[in-house]
Amino acid sequence: MTTFNSRQRKTTSVVGILILLIPIVLLGMPASGRDSGGGGMLAKLRSEHDLGESDLGQIDPTSATMSFVLLGMRGIAVNMLRMDLDDYKDHKEWARMRATTEAVITLQPHYIEVWRFLAWNLAFNVSAEWDAVPDRYYWVKEGGKFSQRGTQRNATIPELTWETGRVWGQKIGMADEWRYFREYFKNDPDTKTFPNGVDPEINPNQIDNYLVAKEWFQKSNDREDNREQHIMMRALFRSQPMRTQLSYADALQRDVRFITADRFRQESSSDEEAEAKAYAARQANFALSRQEWAEGFTEWTTKFGQEEFQTPGGLIRMEADEDVVHELAERQKDQGATEADLRQWIDHYQKTTNYNYWRTRARAEADESTGTSEAHRLIYEGELKLRSGNPEEARQMLVRGMANFARLLEEYPDLRDEDLTVEEAVWGVLLWSKTLELLGESMPATFPLKATWDKYQGLLPELQERYNRGR
Amino acid sequence: MTVQPVSFDLLDGLIQWLVVFAGFVATFTVVALATSIPLYGVSGPKRVISGAMRGLTDFVSISPRRVYAIAMLAFKESIRRKALLVFVVFAGLFMFAGWFMEGDAARPELHLTNLVAFVFLAMTWIVLPVVVLLSCWGLPEDIRLRSLHTVVTKPVRRNEIVLGRMLGFSAVGTLIIVLMAAVGYGWILRHVPKDVAMFCRVPVYGSISFLDRNGNPQEQGINVGDIVMTRSFIEGGSKATAIWHFPISHEVDELKIESRFEAFRTWKGNMDRSLRVRFTLVNDEKDLRVPLPAYEVNEFRYNEVLISRHQEITDEQTLKKSEVDLFKDLLVPFDPQNEVHRKLQGDASAGVLTVHAQCLDRGQYIGLSPGDCFLRLTDRSFAVGYIKATVGLWLECLLLVVIAVTASCFVKFPVAFILTSSIGVVGSFAYGFLLEIVSGKQKGGGAAESVYRLITHMNETTPLPENLFTKSIVAFDKPLVEGLGIVRYVIPDLSHYGTSEWLAKGFDVPWNGVLLPAMAVTFAYFLPCLLLGYFSLRLRELEAK
Repeated sequence: MTTFNSRQRKTTSVVGILILLIPIVLLGMPASGRDSGGGGMLAKLRSEHDLGESDLGQIDPTSATMSFVLLGMRGIAVNMLRMDLDDYKDHKEWARMRATTEAVITLQPHYIEVWRFLAWNLAFNVSAEWDAVPDRYYWVKEGGKFSQRGTQRNATIPELTWETGRVWGQKIGMADEWRYFREYFKNDPDTKTFPNGVDPEINPNQIDNYLVAKEWFQKSNDREDNREQHIMMRALFRSQPMRTQLSYADALQRDVRFITADRFRQESSSDEEAEAKAYAARQANFALSRQEWAEGFTEWTTKFGQEEFQTPGGLIRMEADEDVVHELAERQKDQGATEADLRQWIDHYQKTTNYNYWRTRARAEADESTGTSEAHRLIYEGELKLRSGNPEEARQMLVRGMANFARLLEEYPDLRDEDLTVEEAVWGVLLWSKTLELLGESMPATFPLKATWDKYQGLLPELQERYNRGR
Repeated sequence: MTVQPVSFDLLDGLIQWLVVFAGFVATFTVVALATSIPLYGVSGPKRVISGAMRGLTDFVSISPRRVYAIAMLAFKESIRRKALLVFVVFAGLFMFAGWFMEGDAARPELHLTNLVAFVFLAMTWIVLPVVVLLSCWGLPEDIRLRSLHTVVTKPVRRNEIVLGRMLGFSAVGTLIIVLMAAVGYGWILRHVPKDVAMFCRVPVYGSISFLDRNGNPQEQGINVGDIVMTRSFIEGGSKATAIWHFPISHEVDELKIESRFEAFRTWKGNMDRSLRVRFTLVNDEKDLRVPLPAYEVNEFRYNEVLISRHQEITDEQTLKKSEVDLFKDLLVPFDPQNEVHRKLQGDASAGVLTVHAQCLDRGQYIGLSPGDCFLRLTDRSFAVGYIKATVGLWLECLLLVVIAVTASCFVKFPVAFILTSSIGVVGSFAYGFLLEIVSGKQKGGGAAESVYRLITHMNETTPLPENLFTKSIVAFDKPLVEGLGIVRYVIPDLSHYGTSEWLAKGFDVPWNGVLLPAMAVTFAYFLPCLLLGYFSLRLRELEAK
């Protein structure tokens, strides 16, 4: 029991409030907005560490209002929403799930892992729940767009730009439905909403998905220059734009399988004309692919290869011959770097990033002297001729293709045991043997790629089955 | 909807209610008699009986005029207590809701779902707490301020006070709901994309059974790994079949079957199209099968199949074509002895139609639930569905007012509020959980066992170690769970009141499966609560603060 009367109690309370106000003002006074270093202690710290709302990215008044209205209950509200979100997903209530995703992110606009998880959930998990490919594509886009918004709200975070690049690059380009997704990326299946053929929010220039992804990965690297990322080894992270260029070149080669006469049937007056147009389009695609491999090789070796990475053994570079190792060791001799240590770390990093494989592959694919691109083209066109009942024409193409391939393996011994190269070489010889069967001839004692054919006979059952399936 | 409403048998419900009500009255009487003897000696039972007789008299000679006066008093009091300020919150929410509810141009139909869900969620969370607060507050505040003395000294009976309060607060709730519903309707119309058709489907549901891949009858299909098995799946290119029986009330020129199946691929298959389904109309008695054209599953959306009355079929042996009449040749008469027919909801006076659904893609699966396929009657307008959904919310509001006023008759405001809120929260969100605990299906045991598992980081499926401590925990939980088993009868299942779910998904709110049980539950609570409130107020010491 207190002996104070009512007035004394009120006075004491007022004095207490005033005393408590002093530290609150000192700590929490907001900055005036005119001078960035002004305000209370917390405002100064925010400014010092770029933690202010405006430093993080675009300001969303909705989000700020909600956070303010909920006071300290934001965490509880988010927890409840996340439980709802999982529940809607389990019950396949997609509209509700999507709306709840928005609500969660409204309350947590600067939680990077929340953006990453929710974007991945939409692009990878939800899309897989749908059967029709256009529906799946819609949800992949939802995930990618969501991630894009995350990059605007969090303008300095490299992880979110990387995540966006992953959706546009890997998800669109490497999913089971990649053939459809890559086409949709340039010509959206929702023609009603996107009458111009492309969703401007994700691909305003109507370019390849890998090129869009490359831009996003490059943004990630730009952001990473100023702010550390926490999702993977730095060298792998930094390699992504250049690696995506190589994926683009590779995808152009893969696309050729879907350039058929059917695509040109409507605009052609005869089947022959459609076939000719398809042939020309395939040829153009192979040529473009070769150019992109060349571009990829340049970027891989002169940009990524020249970048320096800090390792326990010292600063290293991927593109490093003995002179470079010597120069690096000389430069860092004060820090105790030795050539042996640097060689070991360079080797470790090259293996981790698969540097040498991509270097050789890109160089080989772009090499005009070996005619690698032409080899791919001839083997594929030979296959088409064989399947369309022209064994003689097929044989001629396949023999030329095999000769080019043999030159490739001669020039690039590292590829002699590389899976994809070996498979294509054996496939070419198998097709050639089929043409011989049809022409009533037997295999000669020597032929291009004989060594590879003899060495990899184990691949034949699988390739024979592929041949029987017709693709 | 993926779940069809469970049919509600009003007569059966009424009989059950009478049994429970009689039990309630009997228990009440026995307890009153038993407690009267130690309190008043041998004259106790006599006092109880005379009290009961007085109560009976009070109820027989109830005055509508006085009830109306009390109700008006409660209504005016509520207005004076600024209950209508809730409209400020409501207006604020609706002004800014658009920020959170960006429409998606590619999926406008999903936008309507979200708009409807938001309007009803906002109304529920604004109206119900306010009305419960007012209802719990009224009587205790009157007792505290002694204004109730003025009332009870007038020729007003206690049951008239309780009833008047219930009606008055219900009127406040009704006013708020009507105004908010009107504003909400306008708001939906303003925000819904122009190309979205607003209507309410009127479905006729059937009963479902399954055949497995070898053609053997099964209760369910296959679970393909879903965490929540809302649909069970049948294998394509096999004998696996989902069989629906639909009640048909009258003959028409054309029937419309609407379905919403899910596709599940075990291998990539043909990516250029979705999985295909075929419906076959079957009359086993006449060995007649009429296959309808196959169609692709338009997943998570509705597929419409129109069946004209006259169907052409080809005999597979003779290749001769013939015509069958849907109603004369394919329907079988309703048989009350047939177990499948007995399960049907709705009028089957014209007969029962059997529809088989099969997936045509080998090795792929389609998922179905009972409510995934229905006969679609002529649509109702969105406004009708909206009004029905609002009636559902209104009934929930009435029920909570009844419980809150009753609680305020025997406890003070804070306790009455906590009690009513708890009943509302458990009834709305945790009734299923409660039933699982009581039935022993919920893994992890009772309260003490749950605390033990939390502290020891023990998974709820892991058996408890065998020792004296865990045995004592289980023994401690047992009476608590049994007590909960009794308490659950007092808590209403408020899941019936979720009428907006139907509207949000483009369906008319069903009368038999949803609105009728909601009405029945509300009125079932009304009389016992009125009695309890009346006797509590009569026994309550009104001088107490």
